[in-house]
Amino acid sequence: MSNNGSQPTVTVRVQRFNPDIDKKPFLQEYRLTPQRDTTILDALHEIKTHQDGGLTYRRSCRHAICGSCAMNVNGRNMLVCNVPLRKHLDRRNRVTIRPLPYLPIIKDLVVDRSSFWEQYLRIKPWLIPPDDIPEKEFRMSPQEVAALQNAEKCIMCGACYSACTVVATNKKYIGPHALLKAFMRVLDPRDATPGERLKEVGTDEGAFRCHTIFNCIDACPKGLDPTKAIETLRQLAAKRQAFEAARRERQKSLAGPVPVSE
Amino acid sequence: MYKTPGFISFALRRITGIALVLYLFMHIWVIGSAVGGAETFNERLNLFQQPAFKVAEVFLLAAVVWHAFDGIRLLIVSQFKVTDTRASQFYAVLVLAALVTIAGGVPILLFMLNGG
Amino acid sequence: MRVFQLQRISAVALVVFLTIHMVVVHYPPFHIDFSRILERLADPLWKGIDITFLFFVLIHALAGTYAVLTDYESIAKFKRPIAGLAILLGLIAFTWGALTIWSFQPPV
Repeated sequence: MSNNGSQPTVTVRVQRFNPDIDKKPFLQEYRLTPQRDTTILDALHEIKTHQDGGLTYRRSCRHAICGSCAMNVNGRNMLVCNVPLRKHLDRRNRVTIRPLPYLPIIKDLVVDRSSFWEQYLRIKPWLIPPDDIPEKEFRMSPQEVAALQNAEKCIMCGACYSACTVVATNKKYIGPHALLKAFMRVLDPRDATPGERLKEVGTDEGAFRCHTIFNCIDACPKGLDPTKAIETLRQLAAKRQAFEAARRERQKSLAGPVPVSE
Repeated sequence: MYKTPGFISFALRRITGIALVLYLFMHIWVIGSAVGGAETFNERLNLFQQPAFKVAEVFLLAAVVWHAFDGIRLLIVSQFKVTDTRASQFYAVLVLAALVTIAGGVPILLFMLNGG
Repeated sequence: MRVFQLQRISAVALVVFLTIHMVVVHYPPFHIDFSRILERLADPLWKGIDITFLFFVLIHALAGTYAVLTDYESIAKFKRPIAGLAILLGLIAFTWGALTIWSFQPPV
């Protein structure tokens, strides 16, 4: 049978909740005929445009860079703009879309991310350079850059934070997103305050609260590894003073040639 | 709950941990009764040699073994930062724990069936 | 950080002591009664091993319980009293256990 790329009709179940009207969230079903490359975000647009204008969700760039559209699909967190609907059908040809778990729901698929941002700001997510800034650029070796493990690729989508079982039980936990960013700053040779950063995250509200559950890695749409970052922070927190001294030493040569590694 | 192998491993580790803490204090109490002499001790211990308790002992073994092997897995992950093999680690722990539980549990059950 | 480190250090120690314990105490013959304990605990070396075992077990169990309880935001507020209770319970259990083991004499 020739196929122009269209699929049989599928059922899209979306969690709805309007706090002004509903007592509690419920699942609403819609029927769609997606193309082969229809993304889940496309499907939501289709539903909102033609079937139910009241459906509410966040989205922006629709190409996996803004981080707005993180949601829970069939029990797993992901960005819905770059996943084909076809790939997430269960055995009954349905896909189930819920908002990110463990966060208060504002409406339908939109959640309150205040605790996410609070924990992020708590770790001072900006570079704190040394007092004497070199005339030209700061110089880092390729190995020093590699040690940051691409953490700057993080788009702050919230998928990892909202997948974390520890976050579920304790909103005072700093969270994989902020710990990853803290790791990035601690390991950056241009940053002059690794000691203070390690003191802030090397506590039992921070890196030592992680239970190595790995949900964050599974959820990250950019393939990042917060658990590895957290393990590194744990090791560094135990040797904080030595690390601080090494950083001071390294910063003496930030304007000079990069260190050669063996 | 966000259900992944990582979550199941964590949940089992926590449940077995709590069970083992409760067992620990009971164990201290039973063994500590040795102070009272042979009769008291043997009496208390014989209670725990009943078949129902022998079966429970196999579950206890399973709990200890799971908790220990999963804990060792955490030590390895911490030390060597091997997060990319996390799925295989989980299954390895499951298999090892099952093997040791069977190896230890079968003799316990046989011993029980043979009248102790 | 300290609780975490205690947990990990006691865990490593327990892998060793638990293996010894399982092999020595629970290896065949499986029957356990007073006389079996008698043979072992008359020896100061075994007393020492058992007391050390008890020490690490209590650290791991109480640190673990503390960690589990303080995971939950509503309970975490009370982490100081919980820590105090855990330390107290540990001291009592260890003192009683260690003394019992150390002073154990096979009856004449």
